[in-house]
Amino acid sequence: MFKLFLAARYVLSRRVSYLGMAAIAVAVGALIVVVSVMNGFLNETRTLVRGTTADVIVTPVQDTAHGQPAPRQALEEVTRAQPGVIGAVARLIRPAIVKVYDSSTLILNLSQFADLSFVTALGIDVEAEKPVSGLELYLHQVEDASRRVADPAKPFAFERGRIRDPRLRTSGLPRCLVGEDRMETLGLRPGDALMLVTMSDKQDITSETIKPSTQTFVIAGAFRTNHHPFDMASVFVERDAFLDWTGTTTEVSELYVRVDDGLDPAIVRDSLQASLDNAGLDAQVETWQDRHRVYLGAVENERTILGVVLSLFVLLTCTITFSMLTMMVQEKIRDIGILSAMGAPAAGIGAIFATAGATIAAGGALLGLLAGGSVARNVDTVKDWIEHTFHIQIFRRDVYAFTTIPSVVDDRLNWTIAGVTVAFALVICMLPALRAARLDPVDALRHD
Amino acid sequence: MTELASGTVERIPAPPSAGAAGAAIVLHATNLQRRYRMGQEVIEVLRGLDLVLRSGESVAVMGRSGAGKSTLLHLMGLLDRPDAGSLQIDGVETSRLSRARRARLRNRNVGFVFQFYHLLPELNALENVMLPLMIQHGTLAWPGQRGAARRQAHALLDELGLADRARHRPAKLSGGERQRVAIARALVGQPRLLLCDEPTGNLDERTSETIADQLFALAARHGHSLVLVTHDRELAARADRRLLLHDGHLGAA
Repeated sequence: MFKLFLAARYVLSRRVSYLGMAAIAVAVGALIVVVSVMNGFLNETRTLVRGTTADVIVTPVQDTAHGQPAPRQALEEVTRAQPGVIGAVARLIRPAIVKVYDSSTLILNLSQFADLSFVTALGIDVEAEKPVSGLELYLHQVEDASRRVADPAKPFAFERGRIRDPRLRTSGLPRCLVGEDRMETLGLRPGDALMLVTMSDKQDITSETIKPSTQTFVIAGAFRTNHHPFDMASVFVERDAFLDWTGTTTEVSELYVRVDDGLDPAIVRDSLQASLDNAGLDAQVETWQDRHRVYLGAVENERTILGVVLSLFVLLTCTITFSMLTMMVQEKIRDIGILSAMGAPAAGIGAIFATAGATIAAGGALLGLLAGGSVARNVDTVKDWIEHTFHIQIFRRDVYAFTTIPSVVDDRLNWTIAGVTVAFALVICMLPALRAARLDPVDALRHD
Repeated sequence: MTELASGTVERIPAPPSAGAAGAAIVLHATNLQRRYRMGQEVIEVLRGLDLVLRSGESVAVMGRSGAGKSTLLHLMGLLDRPDAGSLQIDGVETSRLSRARRARLRNRNVGFVFQFYHLLPELNALENVMLPLMIQHGTLAWPGQRGAARRQAHALLDELGLADRARHRPAKLSGGERQRVAIARALVGQPRLLLCDEPTGNLDERTSETIADQLFALAARHGHSLVLVTHDRELAARADRRLLLHDGHLGAA
């Protein structure tokens, strides 16, 4: 009993013990907050990326040197017959340069529009998209009601009379859907016109003169996926208009495939790849994670690096316990002699100091667990308070494309962090504790 | 000494020569030797010292500084090991006992009173007195023993006139009060042997006299054997026997 009793007294009677606890609490709390936010960030990023990417993507090989690309119908048949596949829809994809109709400048390589110059034009079949992709959701998510399409069931429908430029009202121009973020940036509204410039399939790209293929589209409305890079760089156009504009003979650029929710897309990917190979269809199959592995990998890597750095910080603060305990043993050499004279066993004397170290570490870890968990759970409230109090911006929505700081609190992981902290502190506290246990009682009694 | 495999310690009977006076032998040192090495030089502090101490007996050990009085006290209190010779406490041969067993034997059979009190500053008087009992009882047993231990410690403090100082920390006590707390702490486990190292050496004359009165009275009342190491002839005169430690041997003072 004396071990616990004296350990508690030694810890409680020293102010430096509370300082040690506070240091460990700050380190553990910071690690918990950072890991929670990074987990939230990763989850949110995955959700956003996944929201704009098919579960599985089938890309037919377009290299004509290897023969004609796989036909759309065959690809769709094999894919839809694959177990676990809910639906598949063909999309046509083409990079393009954007020019606002009637503006004097082509938005190309101007520094202020550097990231606005190029878009990916997606040629889609609206009816086929509905059961497979999230197009309808993207249309509903538009925040500015005046930029929404008139009828989400027919998103490309737009009354001629509402076209801004009267000259275009009679021309029967095709419609397009533009990301809300891009529309905001360019100051565009539904009814404005946009020119998309690309290169025709009929061109020989090795020739000295390349004739661009240009088409003016009327903006029928906006879409919002909340995945900022996608919203800035994508324009939906109708499939037929896409074919007219580009003059392409390609039937499918990508097959957008949706699989059962409970199924691992990687399993479907492997089996679908095998089925396509068996059918003699030359196509590459990848999951949404494969498609974005560099982007997601970067976020994961960032989380890992921050976790490692802060873990080292936690371990460093544990060494404070070691220093405090070493000083405590030095201060208490006489006490150790007295306890020996009263019959305290050496192991018991060592246990006093090990318990004191563990108490400091456990107290700090517990405080850090509670404080870190609380902050992680209310990270936006804390952010608002800091921003309001100190007049600083610590979270930029335009950078991360999130409206709030995401945070996923993993209690099991947090308890593990606290447990490992205490275990590490206990291990390094063994050294001063062993020193205390091994002190010669006579030398200890004579110590000044 | 016989140490059983089961972990118990077999008590051997007191030597026939020592039991003649009737009272049981509490401490029996035979040919006790202790030397220290200081660089190349070996200093023989105790050179075959013999001592028999019976239950309830008090012995004063005197000698000049450096004669080895404290060394002898540390050996008798099992804080140190002799280089040669035998030391039995309450019939148990101690020289080959493990450190843990010596600690247990010390806790149950030996009480120390030091010149400089050696109280733990973080604990109040009552807690200091209870500490040997805390050491004696394990963590699980302590809740059941705490009440009795508290009463025992209170009774001793009361006997020493410190009932109203039980909650005071050592820093708030006078020298005499601290030494009385130290005496209570030494006696609380009801040890057979009480070892006192200059118990009045740090006190004024009047307080010394009071402390000595109380020490001898308590030892007599509770039947403790007492070994006093002192330079104080008046204090030594109160003991049943006075011995002089000289040249590593004990002789009559």
